[in-house]
Amino acid sequence: MTETVLNKTQTAASKAGHTGPLLQVEDLRTHFRTIDGTVRAVDGVSFHIAGGETLAVVGESGCGKSVTSMSILRLIQEPPGKITGRILFQGTNLLDLSEKEMRAIRGNAISMIFQEPMTSLNPVLTVGRQIGETLRLHQGMDEKQAEARAVEMLDLVHIPEAKRRVREYPHQLSGGMRQRVMIAMALACNPQLLIADEPTTALDVTIQAQILDLMRELKSRLGSAILLVTHDLGVVAEMAERIVVMYAGRKVEEATARDLFARPRHPYTQGLLGAVPRLGSSLEAKGRSRLSEIPGIVPNLKKPIIGCAFAGRCPAVTDICRSVAPAVETKAPGHFAACHHAPREAVAA
Amino acid sequence: MSPDTAVAAAPAAVDVFPAEVQRGRVRTFIRRHPTIALGGFLLILMVVLAVFAPFLGTSDPQALAPARRVRPPSDVHWFGTDMLGRDVYSRVIYGARVSLIVGLSVAILASAAGLFIGLVSGFIRVVDGVIMRIMDGLMSIPSILLAIALMALTRGSVQNVIIAITVAEIPRVSRLVRGVVLSLREQPYVEAAIAAGTTTPRIIWRHILPNTLAPLTVQATYIAASAMITEAILSFIGAGTPPIIPSWGNVMAEGRALWQVAPYIVFFPAVFLSITVLAVNLLGDGLRDALDPRLAKRI
Amino acid sequence: MLAYIARRVLATIPVMLIVAFFVFSLLYLAPGDPAAVIAGDQATPQDVERIRASLGLDRPFVVRFTEWLWRIVQGDLGVSIFTNLPVSHMIAQRIEPTTSLMLITIVLAICIAVPMGVVAAWKAGSWIDRAVMAFAVFGFSVPVFVTGYVLAYIFALQLDWLPVQGYTPLSEGFWPFLENLILPAIALGSIYIALIARITRATMLEVLAQDYIRTAKAKGLGSRGILFLHALKNAAVPISTVIGIGIALLIGGAVVTESVFAIPGLGRLTVDAILRRDYPVIQGVVLLFSFVYVLVNLAIDLLYTVFDPRIRY
Repeated sequence: MTETVLNKTQTAASKAGHTGPLLQVEDLRTHFRTIDGTVRAVDGVSFHIAGGETLAVVGESGCGKSVTSMSILRLIQEPPGKITGRILFQGTNLLDLSEKEMRAIRGNAISMIFQEPMTSLNPVLTVGRQIGETLRLHQGMDEKQAEARAVEMLDLVHIPEAKRRVREYPHQLSGGMRQRVMIAMALACNPQLLIADEPTTALDVTIQAQILDLMRELKSRLGSAILLVTHDLGVVAEMAERIVVMYAGRKVEEATARDLFARPRHPYTQGLLGAVPRLGSSLEAKGRSRLSEIPGIVPNLKKPIIGCAFAGRCPAVTDICRSVAPAVETKAPGHFAACHHAPREAVAA
Repeated sequence: MSPDTAVAAAPAAVDVFPAEVQRGRVRTFIRRHPTIALGGFLLILMVVLAVFAPFLGTSDPQALAPARRVRPPSDVHWFGTDMLGRDVYSRVIYGARVSLIVGLSVAILASAAGLFIGLVSGFIRVVDGVIMRIMDGLMSIPSILLAIALMALTRGSVQNVIIAITVAEIPRVSRLVRGVVLSLREQPYVEAAIAAGTTTPRIIWRHILPNTLAPLTVQATYIAASAMITEAILSFIGAGTPPIIPSWGNVMAEGRALWQVAPYIVFFPAVFLSITVLAVNLLGDGLRDALDPRLAKRI
Repeated sequence: MLAYIARRVLATIPVMLIVAFFVFSLLYLAPGDPAAVIAGDQATPQDVERIRASLGLDRPFVVRFTEWLWRIVQGDLGVSIFTNLPVSHMIAQRIEPTTSLMLITIVLAICIAVPMGVVAAWKAGSWIDRAVMAFAVFGFSVPVFVTGYVLAYIFALQLDWLPVQGYTPLSEGFWPFLENLILPAIALGSIYIALIARITRATMLEVLAQDYIRTAKAKGLGSRGILFLHALKNAAVPISTVIGIGIALLIGGAVVTESVFAIPGLGRLTVDAILRRDYPVIQGVVLLFSFVYVLVNLAIDLLYTVFDPRIRY
């Protein structure tokens, strides 16, 4: 998928025939300077996404997953924020680009949809205008072409009567429709990477399912890679091929979806999975009619965390956890975790 | 420091440090609320000038001296003399009295009247519609014109100027108070108090007044500032205090015909007026930021 | 949409009636005998009687008010006590300079204040923001005649760039017309600029924190597109409201500005009328300005529907 036909704003590296992963994030750190200290919202996270792949980043709210996704598009206000590390998109480090070069990528090669469809669309501009804007900006279309394409996009996201809807304002649409518009807007320029930050959280359950279906359908049709940021493991199970689990600004586990659900290695992931009601099993299964909670609170990100960030809440904590931060290690082929005690399969580590 | 040493050292510290603590507090206040500090300082300066006007090297501000007409500033007449030979410095210093009295009186009277009308309107629904339509009508007359129209019908005096400006300012205060009353009435704790049979005066005293105080104080400050400008404008165009009274607007009105040859007659009262209004406005901004963070964010 | 317009238009009628009632009844609310006050200190009893009769003070209030209102509707504002000319005629002679001054001031102020507020909000906390806010406080504090004299002293007397005083009608050429109005417009506009800049900044700060601004950034829009299309259109309703309300300040200020710059407009007419205690003229001017003010605000109310599609009903 990486080598699909790219539009004219492709980066230099991809023109040169880039062959690595589509996106490679290395040691990403996003810190914010506040009056009472530096908040280490993201603190040394690395992962990659291959072309056409769906990677989910999961964790509790405040774990840094949204900041991670915003950092990739450099939508973090700097200052007070500061992003360091490397974000290689098709081999080009996005952190080295000028603001102008970055603008050419946003909404074009990489686009983003947000959690709040109710407030993420501009209330005083028509839907067509908001979709067309991206096309006029990145593909040099004129107003007519952009509107025609906006109608096509609305058709694509299954909004009925697209010709009429394109002239409507967001307040005339339901929440699910608005999220469809957001998706249409994000996909208008055929991005290689779509970042979806809690795309279904604000929606009704039935609408959630429809939106997820739509995203899956469009993904197979358009071939974009998806970075899915969510706290909803149900969504993850339906969508993701690989999963990164974050805790307190750090990556604690990474594995394929199948592996992670079957054999979570990190006590935090185990806790998270324990906290999910499993369809069909949770209610009737003996002794597991309740959600298990992870006791304790997330550590304060304003102070440097010594040792394992999860030590304060971990059932398996030992002395070493409180003094030495565990490195992200290979626990099984393709399965990584940052835990001193997580079992390791017999592989050449 | 262990608890023991802290206790032992305490008595000595209390005696040694008060002055230090005091200065620290003033400094902290200035750093936290620079606008209140600057505005307050300038305003106090003006109040001092007004109160001690007779002792600040002034002469009789109304004394005519045709022989010494339109003299530029000198050792004798610091700000020069006007067309009738009156000492501009004395008139300007005494003028602070008029300006401050008008500003303060209008602020107090308009707040009191507006508070009353706003409370009546907010609590008695039968009259609310009528009162608010009347206020809408009054607000549709630009306030300076309303004051001019009122002044045209009365004899010029400080008292009448105060009344005229107050009338023009009342609608805004009434609306503010009514707004506070209406939003508070919806608050669960006030609804609960009403449901529990608390009397209206008690609800006003316990819940409404304390919540009105902050926005009303801020509003009163702005009213004082605009009243001082309106007073000066009224006097300047001849619809204010009688020309003999040393008000800044009057001094400027007298200098109007001569401003190209003797700009100092207009200049000095203009500077004093601007500084005073600036001081009150700064005070208002500072109070707003300090008392009502929500309002501060909006305006 | 039509219902909204109809409702707004109808709602202004009672307001105008109340305004008319106030302007009319001021004469009776004032303490003492208005006829005596208007006649002045040197008037004979016959003078007072004559004025009393000409103002119709000798007949019942309701009758007089209805009659007066009926004449107003027909465009008859009464007759000046001093010149014996119809007030509407006197106003018509003076309306051009005032209208020109106000229009130029409004255009100038909006063109300066809105970008100022936008930039201040965009660069919130920077020195530009601080400078704009400081300017706003000064704009509120320095009265219009002070600004007027300072400007005239510097740019007319000292530098001799612009005329000191006076007015040239538009019919005598655009540049002479404009030349005479630049300084008055700046003097009159300073408080208005301060007001608009402040509300623009405050509203823009609020709008820029909204989710849809983040969406616009994620689409790759530059700051100009974000500020002047996505944000400003959302901020337009509060800003235009304040532009409308602020016209009251301009009307009051115009009276003074015209005195300072010797512009023969309605403000001068008012000041002259005050000195002559020519109450019918004052009444007419106050009524006219108030109606204009109400109508401008009505127009702005209707304009909301252009800015914000959610306002319809």
